[in-house]
Amino acid sequence: MMAAAAETNVIPFGAGALTFIGVYLLSMVWIGWLGMRARKENSLRDHFIGGSGVGFMVLLLTLFATQYSGNTILGFSGKAYRIGFAWLTCVHFMTAIVVTYLLFAPRLFKLAKQHAFITPTDYLAHRFNHRGLNLLATLIMVASLMNFYLAQLTAMGRAVEGLTTLDPETAFLWGVVVLAGIMLVYENMGGFRAVAWTDMIQGGVLALGFAVLLVLIFKEYGSMENTTRMLLQTAPEKVLPPKAPEVRSWISYILLLGVGAALYPQAIQRIYAAKSAKTLRKSLAVMAFMPLCTALIAVLVGVTAAAHLAGELQGASSDAVLGVMLRHIQEQSAFGYALVVLIFAAILGAIMSTADSTLLSMSSMVTKDLYMGFVRPEASQASLTSLGKWISTLFVVVLAALAVWLNNSGTKLTLVELLEMKFDMLLQLAPAFMIAIHWQRMRAGPVFAGMLAGLVFALLFFWVPAKGDGFLTLLKTSGFHPGVYGLILNIAIGVSGSWIVNARSKA
Amino acid sequence: MTRSNSYLSWRIWTVYAVLAGISIPWYWSAEDTRMLLGFPLWAVVSILGSLAVSCFTAWLFVCRWPQDDEGEGEA
Repeated sequence: MMAAAAETNVIPFGAGALTFIGVYLLSMVWIGWLGMRARKENSLRDHFIGGSGVGFMVLLLTLFATQYSGNTILGFSGKAYRIGFAWLTCVHFMTAIVVTYLLFAPRLFKLAKQHAFITPTDYLAHRFNHRGLNLLATLIMVASLMNFYLAQLTAMGRAVEGLTTLDPETAFLWGVVVLAGIMLVYENMGGFRAVAWTDMIQGGVLALGFAVLLVLIFKEYGSMENTTRMLLQTAPEKVLPPKAPEVRSWISYILLLGVGAALYPQAIQRIYAAKSAKTLRKSLAVMAFMPLCTALIAVLVGVTAAAHLAGELQGASSDAVLGVMLRHIQEQSAFGYALVVLIFAAILGAIMSTADSTLLSMSSMVTKDLYMGFVRPEASQASLTSLGKWISTLFVVVLAALAVWLNNSGTKLTLVELLEMKFDMLLQLAPAFMIAIHWQRMRAGPVFAGMLAGLVFALLFFWVPAKGDGFLTLLKTSGFHPGVYGLILNIAIGVSGSWIVNARSKA
Repeated sequence: MTRSNSYLSWRIWTVYAVLAGISIPWYWSAEDTRMLLGFPLWAVVSILGSLAVSCFTAWLFVCRWPQDDEGEGEA
């Protein structure tokens, strides 16, 4: 979910462990081949949504694997290491994502089935029939996903860096090339089915990895009481209740990520892909408990490390805290070593399952919403599907090259900034999806103006430095994210503008 | 009885507001060091609040899905 810049720092794997990882990765290609065999027609809907839809277990695990990236393990534990129990906010914002679906998923699912939607923009086109809005929303979503995909590619490279005896830059390059290549092959073969079915395996391994991690941490480092008491002595600020600015940050995170991540295009496409309303509502009901089984465990890992490993991480990136803990466990016994291999497979699966969903979603929007929507509306389904695969390939090549270049040039700060901007941008889609789906008198023009104003405000807020004690400084130090302010402006323009337009049309 | 747009009910969002008010640790003294089950007390309350949100949300999805939004393909 957040910046993915963590190393694993485990002892380089031996031949047996690398073979296990290799077989695990090749099984993804095999699943892609099965997905290709299950294809019912050469159409966009079949390739990008999986035709008539997927059942409960596949939907649940693909939702889980898509929403929870490798960074849920690596980044969340690193953040908890830095700020302690205050990072429990991640449990709340991951839950808030599911709560947000209450606002639009039931109606969106119904419309998607009635009108055979493929991309999120299909809903906007159906609801507003406004080309400017379609273009702006598509560009926001593609730009956000490109950031996200770049972060996942970077995470792939970092995950592999500590595993081999190669130098870090070479290992990063090979990690990106091999993992992105495997992902591209299975995705282009089987489309959505391959992505969802591999998500099943990856989601299952991820859930198992979290469970193993929890047991290992308590076994290795003792009870939580011991950990909390140690922290109270050495770093009490990581145990005490958050102060007022931190509380505002909690609220902002819950709004920003709770609403923003619910609007991930790949998550919206999974709402479309549910076989029935019953399938969707059961899957979402289970998803409501996932933060307690995953994000909470990541926080416990980080807090435990803050108490027991504070000295060992000096000079190292604190996002690597899990890697350091795994190294300790790996050194204990052959069984510990095997479990670390399993957890590493879970991390790889989490990264790849998020990346493949992102890639397919980007490709579907460029193919259907931009090329078919603005360049060749009359193109055949077969040619569009073929184009979609080429677009996926292009995204992988360009963004993988960018990930390697950024890694070699050390431009990591900019990447982190871009990643944080993703949610500030996605948040501006909220009125169009969550208000307009219920309020039929909401008008296209004001929604477009609100979205544009919210986006521009959020981006300017992000980039323009604050000086002195002015209003901008006050906003920037308030603890709230730029996208939240942009959303308030966005809603104000969209709602008030619609009222004015409606009043004028009545007169 | 038909449940139309039941997720927009003010009762539901009042429950969420109350649960958020309990879960977000805005009302604790900054020096509170009390512990329960090995965790800081405020963290236990926050986690239990999150659990309550999860249970309520799951119940809404399973038992209160708006019937007029069931859509196609429903058994």
